[in-house]
Amino acid sequence: MTLLGPLVLAAFLFCVGLYGVIARRNAVLVLMSVELMLNAVNINLIAFQNLLHGDDPAVTGQVFALFVIVVAAAEVGIGLAIVFNMFRNRASINIDDADLMRW
Amino acid sequence: MEALNYAWVVVALPLVAAAVIAAFGKLMPLKGSEVGLAAISVAWLVSLVIGWQTFVNGPVEAVEQVFWSSPMGGGITIEFGQYVDGLTAMMLVLVTTVSLMVQLYSREYMHGEDRFTYFFSMLSLFTFSMLVLVVAPNTLQAIVGWELVGLCSYLLIGYYWQDKPNADAANKAFLTTKFADIGLVVGVIVLSVGVSAHTDNVFSIPETIDLAMGGELSELTIVMGCLFIFLGAMGKSGQMPLHVWLPDAMAGPTPVSALIHAATMVTAGVFFVARLYPVFIQYATVMNVIAIVGVITLFFAGFLALVQDDIKKVLAYSTVSQLGYMMAALGVGGYTAGIFHLFTHGFFKALLFLGSGSLIHAVHSNNMSDMGGMRKYMPVTFATFVIGSLALAGFPLTAGFFSKDEVLVSAQIWADAGMATGTVVYWLGLAGAMVTTFYMARSIFLIFFGEHRGVAHTSAEIGDEAQAGVLDVEAVAEDQAQAAHDTHDAHDDHPVPHESGWQILTALVALAALSFPVGFMGGFLWDEVGGSTERNFETWTATHAIEEAQYPFLPGYEGAVGGIEADPEAAAGGTVVLAAGEDLFDLSAPVAAESGDEGYSNHVLHGAPTFHLDVFVLALAGFLVALGGAWVIYGRGQPERDPTLHMGGFTTVLVNKYYFDQIGYDWVVVPIRDRLAPAVSWSSNVLIDGVVKSVGGGVKRLADFTYDTVDQKVIDGGINGAAFSAAWWSQRLKRLQSGDVQRYAGAMMAGVIVLVIAFAAAR
Repeated sequence: MTLLGPLVLAAFLFCVGLYGVIARRNAVLVLMSVELMLNAVNINLIAFQNLLHGDDPAVTGQVFALFVIVVAAAEVGIGLAIVFNMFRNRASINIDDADLMRW
Repeated sequence: MEALNYAWVVVALPLVAAAVIAAFGKLMPLKGSEVGLAAISVAWLVSLVIGWQTFVNGPVEAVEQVFWSSPMGGGITIEFGQYVDGLTAMMLVLVTTVSLMVQLYSREYMHGEDRFTYFFSMLSLFTFSMLVLVVAPNTLQAIVGWELVGLCSYLLIGYYWQDKPNADAANKAFLTTKFADIGLVVGVIVLSVGVSAHTDNVFSIPETIDLAMGGELSELTIVMGCLFIFLGAMGKSGQMPLHVWLPDAMAGPTPVSALIHAATMVTAGVFFVARLYPVFIQYATVMNVIAIVGVITLFFAGFLALVQDDIKKVLAYSTVSQLGYMMAALGVGGYTAGIFHLFTHGFFKALLFLGSGSLIHAVHSNNMSDMGGMRKYMPVTFATFVIGSLALAGFPLTAGFFSKDEVLVSAQIWADAGMATGTVVYWLGLAGAMVTTFYMARSIFLIFFGEHRGVAHTSAEIGDEAQAGVLDVEAVAEDQAQAAHDTHDAHDDHPVPHESGWQILTALVALAALSFPVGFMGGFLWDEVGGSTERNFETWTATHAIEEAQYPFLPGYEGAVGGIEADPEAAAGGTVVLAAGEDLFDLSAPVAAESGDEGYSNHVLHGAPTFHLDVFVLALAGFLVALGGAWVIYGRGQPERDPTLHMGGFTTVLVNKYYFDQIGYDWVVVPIRDRLAPAVSWSSNVLIDGVVKSVGGGVKRLADFTYDTVDQKVIDGGINGAAFSAAWWSQRLKRLQSGDVQRYAGAMMAGVIVLVIAFAAAR
């Protein structure tokens, strides 16, 4: 069995997510891009679990992926709350406007 | 003998008086003079008792007491105490008698002066100073008294300091004697170093004498020590060439001159040599130096008196000459003769000075050319002055006659012992006596005979007198004579000189009366007038050390005294017993035994004075010749052409005082003042100050450099630079903190890529 398919898919997803994180101005889209990158990681985790311990009843990789999904869900919750508050404060979700921490 | 223990009373009273007068004198009815007089009177009485006890008991055991001592470490102890023997007693009597007379006299003489109280305080202090020296048991105390005497003389000579010449004279006296005092201090140190090898009490005079007589001190110690001490004595006692201060010291008031010349100053040098006499006689070198200096002084100083017009200067040079006699006598082995002359001279020289003061008081001039015919106006002064002059000139039966004869006899004995200086002193002493007679006769004829020549009073002087008179009226009323005297002073001019008041005359008459007995007690007629050969001036002033003392350099020397060579402990302990002590006063018996057929004595004491026809005839002949010469020239008053002033080059030399002052000025004063002092000042102001300044400047420059460069530039610059570079970098680095989240994410990503590549490569 080859890992090429899942790994390429994961790499693609990761690159898309990375692009979205770096290039998009919309904060919601940035959050979504982060989710893409996390999911790319989840694909990798499952693919390697399957490759290395395919017969093993202890599904460490899948469990780890589940944890990532839970954490991602929480993260999105917090992130959307921040975006929501940001919008309420400045009537914009353009990430470039959130530069209060600059010099 | 108990009275000897109370000699300190004599010393202390004048000090107390001086302090009391200085503190309260101005409040007292007689402005402090009564305190001084009372103190000196009591001191005089105590002195008389001490003098009497020492006189009737012959050579007494010295009473030595220490009242205060302070160990200085190194075995040296500073002690103050008293040492009373016949010599001390003689000086006590002399000093207190003259001081008493001078104080009584000064009450009238200084009446109405400004600083009258100060004057009396200083007189008492002067007397005290001399007495400290007289009773000194050790050389340190002697130096203290010696220097106090110098200080008091400075203050009193400069009493009329308002006029610069007087202040200059005081300075001259002080500096000249101070120069000589260097010798005294050095001499004392040299002797004490020698003594320190044998005893702890290094400054003790009796121990020094014992060691010197025991032959325990090296020749170098004794010769050097004695010669240096003699230098000090030369300065104090006005020996040539250090006599130059004495005539100038006439700038002081006349009573002060009397005190200086008779009792409290110039006698100090002679006294101190006499005190240490057993040390001085150990080596012929020392004796010869003393004799030569003395004989030069006695012979040449007399001539200077010939050309003086100022009566006080005549007397001053005569003092120098008489001091020469005393020193010469000590130098030719005449211990008794020297201090006998000191004793008698004290009385008649005080008399002469006080007499001259009486004249000056009346005439208001020091110059004999302003006097003349004074015997008509001042009969008492005339009589006493003549008595004093006769005593000074050595007229038979006066005090000076006996003492001067004894000096000459001592010289004769010395010459017989084979010492050349004896011959010199004998003949020059005779010649000097002639000169003395001549100048005293000249003075008397000029002052008292002929017609009164008067004084050209300036109006200023008259004004001063009137002012003095006004002041006197305001002062507390004196006795009748004094009052009359003052009223007279207030007159506008002095048509006729007048006799002085009772206080001056009392002093004059008392001293004139004393001018006879003081001579008899040491003269060869003493047993004729009721005295005894057992109890004369010699036995009075002899100490045990002097009785035993012999001249080691003369043939017939018996070796160190009292078998000291056999038993040195005995000498150190001072337990020497004199063998055949009584016989020493008899000239004939022991001499024959000791020196066989030579006919001279090795002992310091010659025994009771005897009549020497040759001396008597020569001295009397000299006296008559000089008197006759003076009568021919001055008998009819002041001649148009005073021959003493027309002796060609000789007069020039005399008027210029043998050029001593000139030489002293050109070779001592000028080099010191114009070269040494500026050089020292230069070395201080330029050299030493320069070093200090340059060191200070260098340190300041170093500090400036440290501040400017190290502190300001290096340290501050480093810190500022660090701050500036931090600011510079922060300006640039802060741009990284863009606040752009996506840029951070990109950077993070770039970092991850770099790390991945790095790990991959490392693998």
